[in-house]
Amino acid sequence: MSVRPYGDRAFLIELEQRIDPAIVDLARAIADAWEARGLGEATPAYASVVVEFDPDRLHWADAERAARALADDPPQGGSITGGRLIEVPTLYDGPDLADTAARSGLTIDALVTLHSGRDYRAFFLGFMPGLAYCGLLDPRIDAPRLVSPRPRVPAGSVAVASGQTIVYPADTPGGWRLIGRTELKVFDPSRDPATLIHAGDRLRFVPR
Amino acid sequence: MIHVLAPGLRATIQDRGRRGHAREGVPPAGPADPMAFAAALELAGCAPDAAAIEVVGLPFAFRCDDRRIVAATGRDVGVRTRSRLPGWTSVLVRAGEEVVVEGSAMTRFAYVAISGGVAVPPVLGSRATYLGASLGPIPRALVIGDALPLGPSSAGADIAGRHVSPPSYGGPVRAVAGPHDDRFPTGTVAAFFSSSFAVSPDSDRMGVRLSGDVVGGPDADLLSCGIIAGAVQIPRGGAPIVLLADHQTTGGYPIIATVVHADLGIVAQRSPGEYLRFARVTPGRTLRSASR
Repeated sequence: MSVRPYGDRAFLIELEQRIDPAIVDLARAIADAWEARGLGEATPAYASVVVEFDPDRLHWADAERAARALADDPPQGGSITGGRLIEVPTLYDGPDLADTAARSGLTIDALVTLHSGRDYRAFFLGFMPGLAYCGLLDPRIDAPRLVSPRPRVPAGSVAVASGQTIVYPADTPGGWRLIGRTELKVFDPSRDPATLIHAGDRLRFVPR
Repeated sequence: MIHVLAPGLRATIQDRGRRGHAREGVPPAGPADPMAFAAALELAGCAPDAAAIEVVGLPFAFRCDDRRIVAATGRDVGVRTRSRLPGWTSVLVRAGEEVVVEGSAMTRFAYVAISGGVAVPPVLGSRATYLGASLGPIPRALVIGDALPLGPSSAGADIAGRHVSPPSYGGPVRAVAGPHDDRFPTGTVAAFFSSSFAVSPDSDRMGVRLSGDVVGGPDADLLSCGIIAGAVQIPRGGAPIVLLADHQTTGGYPIIATVVHADLGIVAQRSPGEYLRFARVTPGRTLRSASR
């Protein structure tokens, strides 16, 4: 693991740079440990953690030492059993469904069966409020991002790209392949918590 | 209560930002120029976690129901009541008096703080407005006729007339190399720190887009990592983006350098067509200029 300066009040801790549920869990465990010590906010992603600190309370050198100590002796990941199972009722009628099936050499039914046939881990949330990156897709699903992103993807769209699947929380431009939709609201600021899916949860898409 | 008489182009309620929700994908929002925002609060006798108003496109005009201390900050900002006063100054405003915050062609973000602070209930722990997801207690730009509640004011008339000096908004911007500096081809980072970039008109609260020398990026995409304000991303095409308060919480473009917190406002307040240079510093106990 490496620890790199990220401006003057944060460090980036980098793990092995690949998408792997075990690495994601470790990144989240490091972020949890940083926050549990009250050092500041921590943002995990696939294989890295941004750890922030308040320079009025912690010297840069002390923060760096704390970050290196976490990287050298990381907490045990072991949160795989912690997540909840979230079922996502999905109508598979997205505009990219047929094309994605065709380029994967699958029938539409086969693609739906593959997509709904396994549980996905929520790796982390990013890009926009409530958007959880989930994976991994069955490798038979060939889903590169669209060459031209759509200017508007409707909220609730179920999408796939690059081995992962997401539910768009709100209308947004987006370049993932839309294969279906759900009525679940994955982000609602009037709800507590506002996000339906948290990192570590498991997602199961249920065809309807 | 204050009553909005002229809302400018886009005025929003902001506090110092929505912390603790990055892991839900929620951007911090808060002021694009944190230093000017903090100065406005301090001059108006508000607590550091109080809410004030960020305005793009002055003038902004309002009146208060009761006597308050008002402070306006930002780049090239002034206040007009019965008389004309400079920005960055505590101004005593009488009940019912109209206050106009004015700027120049150089002004981008202005801050208007009123003693007592804007007392709207927090959403997800903050009063900051994030227009990208219609998030915040008033999740839209202010309009004429908006009436905003104020907290009790403990600031007395004795603080009126206090003044602090604005920062030098035209100067270089201090930045720390990285975190992805080693992913760029040799010489790219040095070239970045010796280049001059023009600010593009499509800059906003999410980020300041730069044009000029193209910065050569890595061949391969990176795995997305967490973003903080000040991160200088190099998207494909090589035109840098300095991310500000409304930044996405994660991103996959390589980050060649990160602007130090104290200089975020220097970037945010740079006007389209103006130039910007990055001065390389190394973090430590104090920021030091890096030897070339």
